Amino acid sequence: MRRWLVHRGLQAAITLVLVAVLLFFLMRLAPGDPLGQLGADRQLTPAQIEATRKLYQLDQPLPRQFANWAWALLHGNLGTSFTHGRPVTALIAERMPATLLLGGTVLLINFTIGLWLGTVQAVRRGTLADRSLTALSLTGYAMPSFWLGLMLAWLGAVHWHLFPAAGFENPLLPTDAPWRTRAADVLAHLVLPATTLVVVSIAGTMRYQRRAMLEVLPLPYIVVARAKGLPEAVVRRRHAWRNALFPVLTLVGLWLPILATGAVFVESVFAWPGLGSLAAEAIGHRDYPLLMGTALLVSSLIILGGLLTDVAYAMLDPRVRWA
Amino acid sequence: MPLLKSGLAVVLFALTGAPSLLSQSRDPSALVIVTGQQAGMPIPTFMEGPANLTANADVADQLFLRLAELPSDLMTTDERRFVPALAKSWARRDSLTLALDLNPKATWHDGRPVTARDVVFTFDRARNPKIAPKLAGLLHHIVSVTAEGDRRVVFRFDKVYAEQFYDATFNVQPIPAHLIPDTATVANPPQDFVARPIGDGPYRWVRSVPGQFIELAANPNFFLGAPKITRVFFRTAADVDARINLLLSGEADATDNIAAPLSNVERVRAASDLRIVPLASPTVGYLLFNQRDRSDRTKPHPILSDINVRRAIAAAIDRRPIVQAVFGQYAEVPYGPASQLLWIRRGAPKPAGPDTVLARRLLAKSGWYDRDGDGIVEKEGHPLELTLSFPLTSEVRKQIALQVQEQLRHAGIKIDLARLEGPVWAQRRSQGDFDIDFSAATQDPTPSGLTQSWSCHGGTNVGGYCDPGVDSLLDRAITMRSGTASVWQEILRRIEMDQPAVFVYAPAFAYAVNRRFDKAPIRPESSWLLVREWTYK
Repeated sequence: MRRWLVHRGLQAAITLVLVAVLLFFLMRLAPGDPLGQLGADRQLTPAQIEATRKLYQLDQPLPRQFANWAWALLHGNLGTSFTHGRPVTALIAERMPATLLLGGTVLLINFTIGLWLGTVQAVRRGTLADRSLTALSLTGYAMPSFWLGLMLAWLGAVHWHLFPAAGFENPLLPTDAPWRTRAADVLAHLVLPATTLVVVSIAGTMRYQRRAMLEVLPLPYIVVARAKGLPEAVVRRRHAWRNALFPVLTLVGLWLPILATGAVFVESVFAWPGLGSLAAEAIGHRDYPLLMGTALLVSSLIILGGLLTDVAYAMLDPRVRWA
Repeated sequence: MPLLKSGLAVVLFALTGAPSLLSQSRDPSALVIVTGQQAGMPIPTFMEGPANLTANADVADQLFLRLAELPSDLMTTDERRFVPALAKSWARRDSLTLALDLNPKATWHDGRPVTARDVVFTFDRARNPKIAPKLAGLLHHIVSVTAEGDRRVVFRFDKVYAEQFYDATFNVQPIPAHLIPDTATVANPPQDFVARPIGDGPYRWVRSVPGQFIELAANPNFFLGAPKITRVFFRTAADVDARINLLLSGEADATDNIAAPLSNVERVRAASDLRIVPLASPTVGYLLFNQRDRSDRTKPHPILSDINVRRAIAAAIDRRPIVQAVFGQYAEVPYGPASQLLWIRRGAPKPAGPDTVLARRLLAKSGWYDRDGDGIVEKEGHPLELTLSFPLTSEVRKQIALQVQEQLRHAGIKIDLARLEGPVWAQRRSQGDFDIDFSAATQDPTPSGLTQSWSCHGGTNVGGYCDPGVDSLLDRAITMRSGTASVWQEILRRIEMDQPAVFVYAPAFAYAVNRRFDKAPIRPESSWLLVREWTYK
């Protein structure tokens, strides 16, 4: 098992290095220039733009820029953002709590309510409840997240004044307000973006779980469990549900990068200060250091997601390890 | 509906346990301004390169004071009409020398007095192209800035021109010499100072919550009078719908330009507690003709170097209904490259209307006819087909481009739309890789900025336009000490005649302000500059 883990870890590390090299060169070779827009919008002369280019060392040859960047990365330094003038690591760290809170909440709701509803659908296959839940979840899935977000913001914030329209916290709240008040404020801000994301994404979890349960329920060991006289609830929970979780594990691995930056539209509509909007801003400005920082983070999470899924499979199913 | 509302309320109660948060009374002396970007470097001489953002300038205006401020009519050439700020008074020693006396009551937020040394330090940085390339370009006529004692600063210029005082006072606010290393640049900023800037303006820094807001507090010791608005928040929401929702839900009090579509303005106008404040904007949108070949800049453009074709395109476009459809009452068709911010537009003639007959005649004069009856004119077997490039992030330009495409089709000109990602569009534009570029320039209040794009050797003259007559007039207008208005108008007239572009729109920005602010002056050259004078009911 340890050898397998080391082997898999090494594979992941090599993949990450290759991804980093590819990302660096692809981003630099892509059309567009972080300073080009200055000339268009700000009435700067080419000489002034060239001077600015020197300030950011963008005038150096690409291999030299890569060497500088890689050397700094080896020392844990992702560089300084062009637009923010601050270290990329600090910017990512600042946005991480909001990202984790939104992504974590959505993940939690998805994998509790989603799994439960998927199981209910499988057990009640073909009934009105199954058909209704399928229709409802697919309707949510088919809705564009930005449109749903706008509708919820209009209803919940503008029309009914129930929830804040946007942001992560009320800026007018005193900095010395009790933690409970502050937590409540953040939770109130979380309701609309989290609801939007749950509505548009829960269908996937439900469908996965429903299908997995439907595959497991007719299997011989379930028949044996019932034949032993075990109560139906125990058969479903202990024997069917647990084994139906394997395919859903893959989904958790896929969700990990989405947790970090996948909610760009929803972050935008609700001005949620997460990594998604930071990454989108970096792309728009061709802020290379910030772009590299966020892209590397997402790549790491994708690789980590795959690794964790493999490990989880291996731990839960010995056949995978032997293979 | 009531059932759903009750259900949502229960969810809120259950989730937060503190529903009182939503109904808590607002501090009436606090102002929440919602903007599209967050200031990351609101410090003069550091707002360079990608940090050269309106968001930074807006916050810097609250923290740092200019030596003097522009008069209300934005006239940049008459130093007697500028409004004292950090400088209490000024005197001209000769045609090349200005002396400004600082207000002795001015102090930094840390209590230290603002001295002439701070001003000299700032201008030394601002005039150094290695530290501040953009500012150095703007201030290149200033040859020296020296201190005479603690309170007097003397500026010397390399030539006589009308905007000496403007250059000395508008472009950069002094920063504290005792807190900033000499060599610090935007690429290597002093992190402590960036995290907590110390200025001399009406507001002092409180905190920045990344991605969310910046909080400023009134400076009770501000020597021009303590502001009535005690707290100012610059709240960030990149998406225009999020900004409008914050306004409509009462979570924000004001916003700057409400972006297109026009229905956004109407939504805000319909709210009883908000009012729309139209304000001259520094933007001018135009279809720039590339007069040089896209692939070889030494050669003329095969189609657009012909003035008849350029004039035909201009004559075939009916700008007024387009501008009306996109901006409603919040824009006008400009005469020449003059935004509403520029004082030189006053007294300019009305822009010419459409004339499709003239357009066809001009095309025919240059040999363009529709020989095959497909509706598109041809010459030597080639159809008159051009590409119109614009950035995909601009909804305004997309809407206008579609209408222009349709109007030109009726005149026999085929337009292909190239909707490009912002950085790609900018790169192609700066390289001259376009036929017609839909530009939207942001102008400084000074008309001398026109030299950048409309003189033969202008730094941003990417269309290859060159009229030595215009250059000569520009030189004259810039160096004259008085009576420049007629020269500037002659410049606009000549540019219109040369038709290097079709000048489509000069918008007014639609600001929104909550009605509880009874006095809320907003300045065109710097939106929130006068928040210090705002009052509330």
